[in-house]
Amino acid sequence: MTSTFKRCLLAATLGVSIPALMATAGIAQEGSTIIVAQGVDAYSMDPAKHSNFPTANILFQLYDGLVTQDENGEIVPALATEWSNPDELTWRFKLRQGVKFHNGEDFNAEAVKASFDRALNPDFKAPYFSRISHIKAVEVVDEYTVDFKTEKPFPTMLLSLYEASFPALIVPPKYAAENDGASIAAKPIGTGPYKFVEWLKDEHVVLEANPDYWGGKPAIEKVVFRPIAETRTRIAELTSGGVDIVVDVPPEDMASLDGGDTKIVTVSSDSLYFLSFDTTRDTPLKDKRVRQAINHAIDVDAIQQALLNGMGTRTALTLPTNGFAYDSSWQPYEYSPEKAKALLAEAGYPDGFEIPFISRKGRYMKDAEIVEATAGFLSKVGIKANIQYLEAGVWGQISEQKGREGIAFPGWSGRDPQLVWAPLLTTGQYQSYYSNPELDELLQAGASTIDTEARKEIYAKAAAIIKEEAPHVPMIQPPLIYGLNANLTWTPRSDGMIDLRKAHF
Amino acid sequence: MANFLISRLLYTVLVLFGVSVAVFFLIRIGGDPSALFLPPEASLEEIERFRALMGFDRPLVVQYFDFLGRAVQGDFGMSLRYNQPAMQLVLDRMPATLQLGGAALLLSLIISLPLAIIAAAKRDSIFDRASLLISIIGQSFPAFWLAIMLILLFSENLRLLPPSGRGTWAHLVMPAIVLATYSTAIITRLLRSSMIEALSSDYVRTARGKGVRESTIILSHALRNAAIPTLTVIGLQVGALLGGAVITEEVFAYPGVGRLAIQAIANRDFTVVQAFVLLMAALIVMINLLVDLSYGFLDPRLRKRK
Repeated sequence: MTSTFKRCLLAATLGVSIPALMATAGIAQEGSTIIVAQGVDAYSMDPAKHSNFPTANILFQLYDGLVTQDENGEIVPALATEWSNPDELTWRFKLRQGVKFHNGEDFNAEAVKASFDRALNPDFKAPYFSRISHIKAVEVVDEYTVDFKTEKPFPTMLLSLYEASFPALIVPPKYAAENDGASIAAKPIGTGPYKFVEWLKDEHVVLEANPDYWGGKPAIEKVVFRPIAETRTRIAELTSGGVDIVVDVPPEDMASLDGGDTKIVTVSSDSLYFLSFDTTRDTPLKDKRVRQAINHAIDVDAIQQALLNGMGTRTALTLPTNGFAYDSSWQPYEYSPEKAKALLAEAGYPDGFEIPFISRKGRYMKDAEIVEATAGFLSKVGIKANIQYLEAGVWGQISEQKGREGIAFPGWSGRDPQLVWAPLLTTGQYQSYYSNPELDELLQAGASTIDTEARKEIYAKAAAIIKEEAPHVPMIQPPLIYGLNANLTWTPRSDGMIDLRKAHF
Repeated sequence: MANFLISRLLYTVLVLFGVSVAVFFLIRIGGDPSALFLPPEASLEEIERFRALMGFDRPLVVQYFDFLGRAVQGDFGMSLRYNQPAMQLVLDRMPATLQLGGAALLLSLIISLPLAIIAAAKRDSIFDRASLLISIIGQSFPAFWLAIMLILLFSENLRLLPPSGRGTWAHLVMPAIVLATYSTAIITRLLRSSMIEALSSDYVRTARGKGVRESTIILSHALRNAAIPTLTVIGLQVGALLGGAVITEEVFAYPGVGRLAIQAIANRDFTVVQAFVLLMAALIVMINLLVDLSYGFLDPRLRKRK
């Protein structure tokens, strides 16, 4: 039944004429205003004082980092125009000249140094401290040149300095120090394309275009962010013309929103869906043949097709396909229950075994459904996975005690092996349930090499080990699904950050 | 009366103390917020460092008395997420919740009082049937489902009302209806049965025998006697409307205290949860006190007993 027909039927039932209803219909706000609906409100307007993605989406319209990400996912200049490595322990940035903060303060090397000194100070208690903690010192070379010093070579520096590394956004030093930081936390001032207007807690954040933006005045005059937690309500706001962008549209709602006054845009995210095996405890999962068998047993393509409408990107290893050193020639284990059974028999489990399977529910799109489907595939080769869903806090507690026994569906994101494999596969790391000295050595080498070609070679070797040893079942980079006003042109980003700089009607 | 007030005050202190113990320890059972607050790749050392920085590593009893000591001086601590005083965050959102709760209560009284009175006066009439239907439907509809159905109908199909937010009266309509549904059902049912009981009592028969007008009998004699149990329930409902609007506020993205509280619970933002629960407990105790006091005005016998 089409929605128009439903509306007719409803109107007829109520004895009201359709034109009368249409007259009162909400009219999509166009031209000068864009309204974005996310799940939660901002927690703070200070970029270094929060740890929340929706907050970061708002602040990214107000502030800039030294570098940013372009449409292709490449790191490109923002407040810095170029960079180099004078030595292995130094990242030198040339800064953009003539940029001013919204309050007229000058953007220069001092502002960069002050922004990082502030967030790196332990007393400041920056929640995302760990993203920038490798930076030992920021030194002013001249007014528009800064050096970032590290203790060890730090190849992923640029990913620590772009907007998804929250405390890396540059704040005006004088203003940020006012009232012990309370001023900037309530009324933000940055160099960004939009200026702050108003923040009504849990209602909306209103921003207006900055005519003097160094990247050119944005096309849309006014931006409003509204927190709407309930998915159905967000969709109702979109269809009734109350908002122009909604995040996290469920796959099953795509068809009904893609047409008429609304449309759907999607992108494969940098996030990773995968299964992690606990190889530290004495279970069948200690045997690499069992781990390979499980890789063969799960039809990931079918899961992707059935639960994600075929969206997202299948990954061969636990690394996003747009990540550093990802090689498109890598292949995942093929789906073959026969091979799985043969490997299980070889390992001494011809009749399978029982194993715990833990996950959170509602943390990621379709997580529980994917876990259920996976358990279904496992049961076909005789493995009985006992699913247990944990509340987020409990999950954290168990993780801290290294207590993720059996199989886990943890979720992760990161665009460099150093940000994915190092924490998840290095011996003894708190999120790692695997140990292999040879792999440790390679990951260590990758972490301390600046040269990109040399790093790629290192990670190619690491990838071969990871494929053979199968500590994970790599699955999918899930899609990000946005519902849009049909007249709006805006491109979503794989890292989930909302950038309205180039949006227009 | 003085004795009564003093004993009630002591009782209030005891209740708030009990609530503070319960909320303090219950919210901490699921672990502290450090791991949720820091980025996923934070190392164990970083989590420990942060925990020590925030004082979460101290024994719970020490933390509790630290909290209690500050709370009695009006300092409920800083919110971890918002980095602002926790009680201020809750109080900032009170006007929105009071507005919604007030609208819902008004709506529910406007419907339930006349309906229940007419239903009792004209038993088995169409009004009586309607009151029964409303009671059953109102009590059995889950708020969440009702809210989504209203949004589908009035926002998506008819496009008459905004599905979310706050600002105009139109924003209040759907959340108020959802919130009022349950209270309307409860109050209607209770008042109807109390009225029926009162109307079949001896004094009503006597009044009728004396030739008093039926409307006077219903509104002045019977209603006054039937009002006491209803008032108790209305008092309870006021508490429920203030503290129990969580789902309604969440679905309609209404910026009230309920939504703040549910996010704080998910984030383990302890101080905000504590401030919310204690404020609500204090409000409910106060409402109960007001209800108790109002009995005296309705029934002189209860006044003397005190």
